[in-house]
Amino acid sequence: MPPIVSVRELRKSYGQIKAVDGVSFDVAAREVFALLGPNGAGKTTTVEILEGLREADSGTALVAGVDVRKDPSGVKERIGVQLQQSAFPENFLAKEIVDLFALFYGRSVDSLALLRAVGLEDKAKQKSEKLSGGQRQRLSIAVAMVNEPQVLFLDEPTTGLDPQARRNLWELIRAIRDRGTTVFLTTHYLDEAEVLCDRVAIMDNGRIIALDSPRALITKLLGRGFSKPVQQQQASLEDVFLDLTGHALRED
Amino acid sequence: MRQVFGYVLMLLRAYTRDFTALFFGFFFPLIFMGLFGILNFGAFGHVAVGIVDEANNADSQAFRAGLAKIETLQLSSGPSDAQLESLRKGDRDIVLVIPADFKIAPARQGATVPTLTLYANQGHGEQVAVGSAILMQVIDQMSFAITQTAPVVAMKREEVAGRNLKYVDFLTPGIVGMTIMQLGVASVMFSFVVDRQRGVIRRIMATPISRRNYMAAHVLERLLLAVVQVLILLAVAVFAFKVSIVGSLGLVLAIAILGSVLFLCLGFAVTGFVTTENQAPAIMQLVTLPQMFLSGVFFSRDAVPAFLKPVSDVLPLTFLNDALRQVSTAGAGIVDVGGDLIGIVIWSAITFVIAFRFFKLEA
Repeated sequence: MPPIVSVRELRKSYGQIKAVDGVSFDVAAREVFALLGPNGAGKTTTVEILEGLREADSGTALVAGVDVRKDPSGVKERIGVQLQQSAFPENFLAKEIVDLFALFYGRSVDSLALLRAVGLEDKAKQKSEKLSGGQRQRLSIAVAMVNEPQVLFLDEPTTGLDPQARRNLWELIRAIRDRGTTVFLTTHYLDEAEVLCDRVAIMDNGRIIALDSPRALITKLLGRGFSKPVQQQQASLEDVFLDLTGHALRED
Repeated sequence: MRQVFGYVLMLLRAYTRDFTALFFGFFFPLIFMGLFGILNFGAFGHVAVGIVDEANNADSQAFRAGLAKIETLQLSSGPSDAQLESLRKGDRDIVLVIPADFKIAPARQGATVPTLTLYANQGHGEQVAVGSAILMQVIDQMSFAITQTAPVVAMKREEVAGRNLKYVDFLTPGIVGMTIMQLGVASVMFSFVVDRQRGVIRRIMATPISRRNYMAAHVLERLLLAVVQVLILLAVAVFAFKVSIVGSLGLVLAIAILGSVLFLCLGFAVTGFVTTENQAPAIMQLVTLPQMFLSGVFFSRDAVPAFLKPVSDVLPLTFLNDALRQVSTAGAGIVDVGGDLIGIVIWSAITFVIAFRFFKLEA
């Protein structure tokens, strides 16, 4: 199967700063792929070029068979996005937000079914600005699914969420992948990448410095003779937290 | 097209849930109209005339009795200093001094005639003009009576059952114009600055909707709101304040829509220079406040000081208010307000070009 996202020698500069400096990678269909990196590494710029929101200076990027630089609106038809620091218009109910975005794609959808898929059916008649952080992220994913996208781009989807909401979102992302949608996400939570992703690319200073499955990357590191100075713990603090507070989603 | 209309409907539905916008858009102008309508500002009542009778003889008393019959004049009398003091305080429009040598008699050839002195309150131009005209007329009539000279020109006065223009009749088109301005500029500036800052527009632009459709829906929604708003204002004016709209209602609405286009363009033009939510209210005031006072919203533009007149003459709202008022109070037709309409079109073109150049959907 050909890759669903194919990027070759992508470059984008802002003045002297090379935000994306010759990036190449492929994403296979139906995988969960993550772009990791510290803040300012060029993750968001790369993703926004793939989403047709920014123009690259040079290089090629094919998304779902469409050349992003030649046909950005064609790409927008085929992908779903969740942007960092974005919001929905005010005074719309959650259900209306889904209908509104369906209209932007020229579609009509069963908005309640989409909300049900993200566990927000009971919030359908609530104004979107009144939802909690986790609920808003889930609404955002429901909205990103209105056009039955081939690739779903999620830019730091779990930033600012509590552990329960984070795990709930992971479940949702896996479910979306299992239904046949490729998921492309950026994150700076490494535990998230480790449990969620089939493959990860690590980006720094506008370049990709490693790309493989989390397991393979760890094995390679250990192969270079790396060992942690601490003793192996059987549980983490997060395990304690979740054991005490449960996995159930909170209303916040 | 289906997308644009669908979006307009959804925007309107969301608007009905926005209580702040509803308040400022619909109730605020009504409160303004109610307040000014009840206060009945600018009603032309009386001319306050202070009489200083230094003669106090039979002739001067006859003269005063003559003046007292004129309803428009509100007479009071007293010593010179007290009357002039009242004039300075603004309690009198005119103070008339009847000299000690006042008499009503034919003047002998070459003799000096008694001279009445009239002190006029500079701040009350309109009342002074009316009052002194009445006084002159009374004096002329007395002269004719005494000298038995027939007037050279006779004037026959006929009462015309004219429209009794109330202040609220004058005010209503002004409020309509002001509301169109406020809604046009504010509805664009606040919503676009906020949506731009919060990333709402950015999210929408990540879908395939074209910028043209997006803008078309937002402009159409605001034009529809403006029409609804004008209709509500006019309905309240007509039914609650008994305002008579003399000209064609259709023409009033057409002018209102044209004015709406102008102020939406102005809104987009100005929003091109506003980057944060905090700047918006200040810029809004800067753009709308001068027009509220210089474009004849509440009072006639005759009150605008001479040095501001050239500015007042060309403000966008001046053209809109003048056109609305001509049609509403004087029954003007489309040709009569042609000059104003050209003014509105020229302003729309200027602001459209600025908006096209500087307005950005994304930060």
